[in-house]
Amino acid sequence: MKVFLDLMWFFKQEKKAYITGVLLLLIVAFLQLVPPKVIGLVVDHIEQGSLTMKMLGTYLLLLVGVALMMYILRYYWRIMIFGSAVKLSMQLRNRLFHHFTSMSQSFYQRRRTGDLMAHATNDIQAIQQTAGVGVLTFVDSLSTGGFVILAMAFTISWKLTLISLIPMPFMAVLTSWYGTLLHKRFHLAQEAFSSLNDKTQESITGIKVIKTFGQEKEDIEDFRKQSNDVVDKNISVARVDSLFDPTISIIVGISFFLSLTFGARYVINGELTIGQLVSFTTYLGLLIWPMLAFGWLFNIVERGRASYDRVIALLNEKADIVNEEAALNATPSGDIQYEIQQFTYPNEAEPILQDIHFELKRGQTLGIVGKTGAGKTTLLKLLIREYDVTNGQITFGGNQITRYEIDKLREAVGYVPQDHFLFSATIGENISFAKPLCDKEEIQAAAKIANIHNDITQFTDGYDTVVGERGVSLSGGQKQRISIARALLLNPEVLILDDSLSAVDAKTEEAILTSLKENREGKTTIITSHRLSAIQHADLIIVIDNGQIAQSGTHDTLMDQEGWYKEMYLRQQLEDLVEHGG
Amino acid sequence: MENQQLSEGKQQWKVLVRLLAYAKPHTKTIGLAFCLLILTTVGDILGPILVKVFIDDYLKPRNLSFEPLFMLGTAYLGIQILNVIISYFQLLKFQEIALKIIQEIRIDVFSKVQSLGLKFFDKTPAGSIVSRVTNDTEAIKDMFVTVLVTFIQSGFLITGIFIAMFILDVKLALFCLVILPVIFFIMSLYRKLSSKFYHDMRERLSQLNAKLSESIQGMGIIQVFRQEKRMREEFGVTNEKHYTAGMRNIKVDGLLLRPAIDLVYVGALIIVLSYFGVSSFESPIQIGVLYAFVNYLDRFFEPVNNMMMRLSLYQQAIVAASRVFNVLDEQEVSPSQKETANKIQEGEIEFRDVSFSYDGKRDVLKNISFTAKPGETVALVGHTGSGKSSIINLMMRFYEFESGEILVDGHSIKEYPEKELRKKLGLVLQDPFLFFGTVADNIRLHNEKMSMEEVEAAAKFVQAHPFIEKLEGGYEHQMVERGSTLSSGQRQLIAFARTVAASPKILILDEATANIDTETEEAIQEALARMRKGRTTIAIAHRLSTIQDAELILVLHQGEIVERGSHQELLSLRGLYYKMYLLQNNLADRIEDVVS
Repeated sequence: MKVFLDLMWFFKQEKKAYITGVLLLLIVAFLQLVPPKVIGLVVDHIEQGSLTMKMLGTYLLLLVGVALMMYILRYYWRIMIFGSAVKLSMQLRNRLFHHFTSMSQSFYQRRRTGDLMAHATNDIQAIQQTAGVGVLTFVDSLSTGGFVILAMAFTISWKLTLISLIPMPFMAVLTSWYGTLLHKRFHLAQEAFSSLNDKTQESITGIKVIKTFGQEKEDIEDFRKQSNDVVDKNISVARVDSLFDPTISIIVGISFFLSLTFGARYVINGELTIGQLVSFTTYLGLLIWPMLAFGWLFNIVERGRASYDRVIALLNEKADIVNEEAALNATPSGDIQYEIQQFTYPNEAEPILQDIHFELKRGQTLGIVGKTGAGKTTLLKLLIREYDVTNGQITFGGNQITRYEIDKLREAVGYVPQDHFLFSATIGENISFAKPLCDKEEIQAAAKIANIHNDITQFTDGYDTVVGERGVSLSGGQKQRISIARALLLNPEVLILDDSLSAVDAKTEEAILTSLKENREGKTTIITSHRLSAIQHADLIIVIDNGQIAQSGTHDTLMDQEGWYKEMYLRQQLEDLVEHGG
Repeated sequence: MENQQLSEGKQQWKVLVRLLAYAKPHTKTIGLAFCLLILTTVGDILGPILVKVFIDDYLKPRNLSFEPLFMLGTAYLGIQILNVIISYFQLLKFQEIALKIIQEIRIDVFSKVQSLGLKFFDKTPAGSIVSRVTNDTEAIKDMFVTVLVTFIQSGFLITGIFIAMFILDVKLALFCLVILPVIFFIMSLYRKLSSKFYHDMRERLSQLNAKLSESIQGMGIIQVFRQEKRMREEFGVTNEKHYTAGMRNIKVDGLLLRPAIDLVYVGALIIVLSYFGVSSFESPIQIGVLYAFVNYLDRFFEPVNNMMMRLSLYQQAIVAASRVFNVLDEQEVSPSQKETANKIQEGEIEFRDVSFSYDGKRDVLKNISFTAKPGETVALVGHTGSGKSSIINLMMRFYEFESGEILVDGHSIKEYPEKELRKKLGLVLQDPFLFFGTVADNIRLHNEKMSMEEVEAAAKFVQAHPFIEKLEGGYEHQMVERGSTLSSGQRQLIAFARTVAASPKILILDEATANIDTETEEAIQEALARMRKGRTTIAIAHRLSTIQDAELILVLHQGEIVERGSHQELLSLRGLYYKMYLLQNNLADRIEDVVS
């Protein structure tokens, strides 16, 4: 029940709704007692022959009034309590989203998208359940249960009440035991289902391989096997699930039996009237729900608590990249200087970068080459402060980059990441992502520099073509060029191309590099690439090997040295040079 | 509007009927389940009647002789216990049947998907296909397990209750029949409203989740382009819309679900009480009958509530089912084979005047003709979109073509049995797709007859053996997340081994050499050279250096072969190939030559 305390801030915030809701619930619980009582009274009057038309009319009118009241109140408490719960989930979701947007990349390195999504969907759902159904069950089962027992004990017979209640605790115990059993088995069933899901996912994405090797039949057989497992696991859930109804009905049956046998004796003794006995059994019917509800309550609250803890833990994570105090509120521009003794990713032992020292003058182009995993991308990420240098510094325009407000620093940079990510929106919206209100001409200009304009006009809807899951599928090269246009639109002080030309062919690469050169006069550009042709004309080329600068210089100076660059350059052409030897 | 609703209703009905057809193979089990259900219903109905007998015949006349009461009590308890046991098996049986039915549907969809042509996979995102096979069928499962079963059980109980009521008192039972149309009215009203609102809320929720998941995945981009605030606002708007939809649902539920049914319940009580009250003025009545009626009414409304709560599931399931059936009815099947030719012996390939279009509008291949003699290599060169992959797609029969002919050993490729084609044509994909499982599983695929020796031999042949041995567990090394722990070159080598293990006659390489570190590339080049030996090969390569020894190089541009010949011939032609070659090799001085 601790989760109710945890959620107190919300109950306080919505106290009007909750107080009204709970009050209405209490009134409904009380009104519920009226119909069985009326039945009993009518029965007694009939039996004693004392029923008059007027009396009957009054009773019936009372019932009508009570029924309508209950209807209205029940509607309103739902709005109050369930409505607040939905509001809570909305608030939490907004908070989470806000939090997500302010978390640094190290956070996203640690947490997978699937997990984060689970927190924002399942966990919030569970919390909503707690604040809605949980509160309802708690209040309602206590009040209905309490009122009914009180009514049975005080208006009919406390002895009979005690006797008839004997089997009831068994129901609560048994159903909550089934609950835990069910939970475990359900979990297994879910697992089987999700592995079937994975299997399907894999078969669909690997469809070409399956077709190539003509293994459709075998794959279907494999699917059948896995789906058998799903059926088995679900049947084992059904074995427990099917216990609920029979258990409830046997226990209620025994309870009825007890109250009838003992009740009958009291009727004979004259301690009870038949009408009271009928009321009593109807009350007993009202008790089933609070008993069951109590079993669920623990489940709901348990889950809600775990979920709430998870969400709070997530919200309490601190961003590790934050503005310094009194950070400069100015967009940096000027020379860039790297002076890194060492950089290690959080939670990793081995340093990824060591002794990186170089200077890039404003307007120059820097080429970074090296093997995969050498640390090229890391070098770039440090500049946009996706991570902070642990040991050393980077200065930009004479100040350390940490001196600037993050927002201002990033304003100076146009970044084209290795994994070209586009949003499910139109191409135009994707290109103008960082400047949503810009005009068409700007978008087209950027697209032209990135050599994608012609491709876009080929689409039926041109710049309004929707991309992503629901839209057209673009080739890797097209996506890359749209990402480049997106960064170019800002005409940034520093443009970073992180292996962003890998999926375009040599001709397109050449065209893009040429137009970049024309359009970025006086602005800094940083390019990493596998293909040396992409950085050949850079003012400064650095070769990264194993996190260190192995070589640096221009293409010409590097070609004059023995080393990785020359070797690689030669290797990329060796065969041809031999054949065409001059 | 009215018409549309009607046709929607009809449509839903059709879907339901089609779903129920899946129950056919289980007729026997279903029959058994129904027998059990009838027994439990009878048990449920008998209880109150026994109590009625007890009240009217013994309690009211104050006649409590032991023997008959003992009999009555035993009967009551006996029926209860028997009832519990039978109803357990009844509940279980129904669930089992539902699960089996869903499995059938699932396998059907999966098999159907496997039989579809790649055109289907082009136009349908993978995620949504997976959803059809798993999530949608799961929604149908929920319907079978909870909705249908609840409806059947509730229907039986309600009928049983009415039969009992008619036995006890025909007139009153007739009065009580009034409840049915009222409940039916509430139900259909609720169904109408909730199907709209509920659907709306689901839609909003999926928008919300899509937005969230996309934002998380693209957070790097959002942050580096400083759009956090805008995204928060956009998310807030989506969230708000979802909230509004949620509230509307709560209102509809509040108006028409449990509160409404409880209102009807009290209404029914009023009918019963006034009937007994009024008739008691004329003649004495049986209190026991009154008791039984009140008791029946108590039981009557629980199944109704259950049914109401499950209506939205029904709606969802029908929508899901119609989506599943759409896949089952999909016409975009794989190209079919005539199966008149039988074996591919030599491996000679000829393209004769082949033209092809994916969308029926724009030709991506125009009059392609060439011949690859047995054992020769034909290389396809050209920039992205020039049609190289399309040639391979046709060759592999992934897509059907209408114009021109592709001949293998002189017979149309359409004439070979599918099995023969798959066996003799080995394709190495650009993306070396690795499945969940061990390294050996990935080389062997589903071909379980392949011995460990054969697997190793294949790996040795492509020089994958040394690095596989170094993996933890060697050939039994478990792949995680599609082999993401291996380098792309290593994955490529495993894919090679897989192809070699299948020992095809014809080799087809799709951009297999792109995107690999220059270091790993040497091993791959070596493996490729070995694989090509003795096999007719059609290869796409980004790097011209890898295909210089090809017997024939075709240079494609916008779907046409613009140049053809050997490497040397093409170079001396000084055309497109030569230019590509110079550009790719950065031979600056020569580029100058060409330009000037």
